Amino acid sequence: MGRSARTARRVRGAKAARRAGRGRSARLGDTAIAAVTVVALGSAVWLLGGSGTHAPPQPAAAEGRPDPAGERLSAPALAPSPPLRIRIPAIRVNAPLTGLALTPSGSLDAPPPGQKNLAGWYEAGTTPGERGTAIVAGHVDNTEGPAVFYNLGALKRDARVEVDRRDGTVAVFTVDAVEVYPARGFPDDKVYGAAPRPELRVITCGGGYSKATGYQGNVVVFAHLTGSR
Amino acid sequence: MRRTARLLAGTAFAVAATAPAHAAEAGHPAARLHSAGAVGSPAGRLDVSPSTVTPGAQVTVNTAACGAPGAATGDAGAVGAGVFMLAPGTHEGEAVGRFRVPPSAQPGTYEIVAQCAEGDRQVTGDLVVALTAAHEQVQPRGSVKTGVGGGLGTDPVQTAAGVAALAVAAAGGTWLLHRRARGDGI
Repeated sequence: MGRSARTARRVRGAKAARRAGRGRSARLGDTAIAAVTVVALGSAVWLLGGSGTHAPPQPAAAEGRPDPAGERLSAPALAPSPPLRIRIPAIRVNAPLTGLALTPSGSLDAPPPGQKNLAGWYEAGTTPGERGTAIVAGHVDNTEGPAVFYNLGALKRDARVEVDRRDGTVAVFTVDAVEVYPARGFPDDKVYGAAPRPELRVITCGGGYSKATGYQGNVVVFAHLTGSR
Repeated sequence: MRRTARLLAGTAFAVAATAPAHAAEAGHPAARLHSAGAVGSPAGRLDVSPSTVTPGAQVTVNTAACGAPGAATGDAGAVGAGVFMLAPGTHEGEAVGRFRVPPSAQPGTYEIVAQCAEGDRQVTGDLVVALTAAHEQVQPRGSVKTGVGGGLGTDPVQTAAGVAALAVAAAGGTWLLHRRARGDGI
C-alpha cells in the first residue's frame, strides 16, 4: 500500500512537472502567435484600407514656371518634320506618337485610350523642333490602370525630353517648368499660344480626381529646344 | 545662263571658304552645286524669318555668307519691298536686315536676294506670302481628357498582400480563442 502510494505520488509529481514545463513553452508560443496576429491584422487594415489614396504624382510648386518670357537660350529651330516617338528617360517614357485633331468643341482630342503606351501630337500645329509651340498629349491612366504619362507630374525642371522625327533627326528639349492647371479657366494662351522659339508642351490629366467629374485639370510640361542630333 | 555661271562661281567660293570639309566634293561640279543648295548649310543661304508671312508683316533676314565685317545689300523687289541694307549682327560674321512686305503683296513664293558688300557673293532665300500666316493656325482650347481614374484603383499586389495578412490574423485569432475556451489560459 505504502509502496503503491509512493509510486502514485511520484507519478503525480512527474505529471505536474511535465505540465509546468509544457505550460511555459505553450505560453511562449501563445505570446508569439498573439504578436503575429496583431501585426497581421494591422498590416491587413493598412494594405486594404489605405489603397484608395494611390494617385498619380502631381508637380511640386517649386517646378512652377520661372521663365515666362523664354529668356533661356534655345537651339536653332529645325525644319518642319512630323514626330514619330517621344522619350522622357527620367520617368521611363518611350512611346510612339499618333496624330491628334480637335474635338467639335475645339479642345485637343486625346489618343485612343485602349493602348496604354501611346501618346499623340497636335497634327495641325507646329512639329516638335520647329519654331513655335508643339503639343504632345497622352493618358495618365485608362480603365485598366496607369498609362503612358502616369508619372508626368513627377518630372523635374531641366529634365530631358527627346522626340524622334521622320527626317531622322532627334529634337532634344529641356524642361522649363511642370505645372498643373484646373480645367475651369484653363490658360489657353500660356499652354497653346505661339512661341518665338522652338517649344514643346507635354500634357496629361491631373489636378485631383473625383468620381463625379473625373480629373479636375491637366498637368502641363513646358520645355524648349536645346539641341538635336 | 549668266545666273547659272554666277551661281557656280559663288559655289566655288563657298567651297573654298569651307575648304577641308568639302575638299572631296570639289572635283565634282554636280556635288558642288548640290552642296550650295543644301538646306542646313547656313553659310550659303539667306535665312528669312518668318518664312511665311501675311501682307504688311515685317521680315528679318540674315546670312553668314559675307564673312566679317558682314554687310550686304538686300533686294526684296520681287515682293515689292525694294532694296534694304544688311548690317553686322550680334553674331560675328553675320549680316542682318529687315524689310516690310507691302500690304498689297499677293500670295505666292518670292525670292529675296542679298549681295555681299565685299566680293561678289550673292545669297538667296524664299519668302512665302500667305493670306493666313502659318502661325495663325487654329490653336486648341481648354483642358485635355486624358484620364478616367483607372490608375487610382486598388493595386492588385497590394490587395493580395492585404488578403494574405488578414488570413494570417484570422488563423492566429482562431487559435488563441480555441486555447482560451479549452481553459489552458494565456
